[in-house]
Amino acid sequence: MIDNGLLVQMLIGALLGLSVYLPLAAGQLSLATPAFYAVGGTLAALLSTRWSALGATADGGFPVPSLLLEMALGGLLAGLLALLVGRLVLRLQGIYLAIATIALVEIVRVAILNLPFTGGAVGIFAIPQPFATAAGYLLPALALLAVAGWLCQRLERMPLGRAMAAIRDDELAARCMGIDTTRVKLSAFVLSAVLAGSTGALAAHFLNTWNARQGSFDASITTLAFVILGGSRTWLGPVVGGLLLTALPELLRPVGDVRLVLFGLVILLGPVLAPQGLITPALLERLGGWGLRSATDRKTEEAQP
Amino acid sequence: MTSAPPPATALSHDRSGSSGPIERRQRGALRLAALLAAGIGALAWLGRSSDPAAKPLTSGPLTLGAAIAFTGNANLYGQDQRMGLTLAERWAQEAGPPARPVVLQLEDGASDEPSAIAAFNLLIRQGVIALIGPTLSQQAFAADPIAQRQGVPVVAPSNTAKGIPEIGHFISRVSAQSSVIAPLSIAEALRRDPAIRRVAVFYAQDDAYSTAEVAIFQKALAARGLTPVTVQRTQLADNDFQTPITSALQLQPQLVVLSVQAVAGGNLIRQLRELGYRGQIVVGNGLNTPNIYPICQRWCDGILIAQAYSPELNTPVNRRFQQLFRQAHGDRPPPQITAQAFAAYQVLFEAIQRLQRQGGLTDVSLGQARANLMAELLSGTYDTPLGPIGFSPEGEVLQDRFYVAEVRMAPGGRDGRFALVREQGLQEGQP
Repeated sequence: MIDNGLLVQMLIGALLGLSVYLPLAAGQLSLATPAFYAVGGTLAALLSTRWSALGATADGGFPVPSLLLEMALGGLLAGLLALLVGRLVLRLQGIYLAIATIALVEIVRVAILNLPFTGGAVGIFAIPQPFATAAGYLLPALALLAVAGWLCQRLERMPLGRAMAAIRDDELAARCMGIDTTRVKLSAFVLSAVLAGSTGALAAHFLNTWNARQGSFDASITTLAFVILGGSRTWLGPVVGGLLLTALPELLRPVGDVRLVLFGLVILLGPVLAPQGLITPALLERLGGWGLRSATDRKTEEAQP
Repeated sequence: MTSAPPPATALSHDRSGSSGPIERRQRGALRLAALLAAGIGALAWLGRSSDPAAKPLTSGPLTLGAAIAFTGNANLYGQDQRMGLTLAERWAQEAGPPARPVVLQLEDGASDEPSAIAAFNLLIRQGVIALIGPTLSQQAFAADPIAQRQGVPVVAPSNTAKGIPEIGHFISRVSAQSSVIAPLSIAEALRRDPAIRRVAVFYAQDDAYSTAEVAIFQKALAARGLTPVTVQRTQLADNDFQTPITSALQLQPQLVVLSVQAVAGGNLIRQLRELGYRGQIVVGNGLNTPNIYPICQRWCDGILIAQAYSPELNTPVNRRFQQLFRQAHGDRPPPQITAQAFAAYQVLFEAIQRLQRQGGLTDVSLGQARANLMAELLSGTYDTPLGPIGFSPEGEVLQDRFYVAEVRMAPGGRDGRFALVREQGLQEGQP
């Protein structure tokens, strides 16, 4: 039932979930992901339709290297914006940071709506296509997800990732230990923006059209739901959450008009039944321990560090 | 509840070799990631485009797919469209056994771009012969290119933005664009009061439909030498318009032009009247639904609107359409958007019947049948509830009769109707 087009949407969902996860891994509840997604998407839409040097053909074709260039530029621009904005908003914490990042999403949305070259409310359409079918988008989306996943996996072992975990657990204690908390939080914020920006550039081509509605407050909540349902303690949580929650409304089509009611129920029941999310560190530990030694061995070993 | 260990303990565990929780968690993460990658790979393999276009067309009934908005903020229009499509299905069944039976499959295209894409993909993979939808022009810009690339005919029942048929030769529409219709109501207002000099314009700046239509209104005003004394921008979700109305009324407008969606428009009209505006009001296509009556009630009375459909058009097919509508939905006239959805089904149904009789649907693959249908669709003329319509070679609707209606509310102010005040013939093919 899942066709390649839906699979690409699921991968985009997973990437956006990861983008929300990164600041959250440093304890920062940032809802700014759709703003950076919109920046990347708008940049790609503008470049591919206005700048003929990228090689868009008259019949709507587009070279793949140009797509990759756009993804890099989209990530770069979003990262620069995050660097500028992050210095200001990361002074805030918790719900105040969430509100400030919602404001950022709104500012970007209104700017895209009113700029003279972004097509207003209709947006930019007839975006050229690097691939003939949706299956073509699988490769760049998977590659981006693999890179992002590898980075998140590596982060657990890197000083930056450990500093992020320390800030998440107790920011004051982390600062006392000599961690430059501002720099670490900013790094996580910028990484998240780069990921969202690149994803936006890919999504603009996939969606054929781009407008200000793509990066809205609604999208902030949707992407946050990916992380809540999937779990915010490991990078695989948001990936699984993004994949599942994007696919679910489509998989529920056979039930007819009540499909969104069921979808709402899942979002409601998910956190009730699995408050830590579907993918928890405990689950990963169990999964990693399989086939190595029996559970009793592991317990005795843990008891004597 | 298990939370990540603080970094200090994590470090000590780490040095103890491959048995620490971090090690195990990382190994678990890798395993799960590999599992996910395998799952995605399998899904990609299973979902690879098994294009049904190459398969020979079966002899059974043909499926028409419709992807319209049952959810999201466009569902007000989607519900009206669903009525039109179901009525058209009944109309087709009553006409006697067709040369080729047609079944309709409805899918929710929601109100956003990804959902429209998913619905189109789903229907195309199920082997539909043609598509009706999506509801919003912004969705059409996302989903129509997919149908175009796969060679599936699309008839849009309600996309009025500029540039829809230009997406490709498989894309057509039965909804005339606002540039054709909108100026007519301005003309009517000026005919009633040629002394009008001061015009106020309201529109929702974050809505594709409103921004496109207001540009046309402004052009029509400029063509008559009128410059608006004020242009007030509102937002799609606004319902309180006291501030923009107050600042507009200070400039003493003699005519107010509105281009907003139904709910906002109903509220805007009501508040305009409540704040003391007594002049004429001209509204755009967004208010082209009886659903506004309960909102603005007696204040709706007298507003002018240009329409692509008039319930008062006295032709056999329109009488039949009205009869079916009244049977199903009670004694009220059908809205324009329902008539347009009916017309979208009707043109496809009639083109399929003609093609079947010509033999264009026998011994062909599904892909060829789709291409033949598109050619047949564009070449025909159709007597629809909208009046006689045809298509330009690009797929733009050619409709030569438009209407200006005035809302007349019943004495209780609860219900009303669009009363036809002028019927206007246009040159065919005028943009």
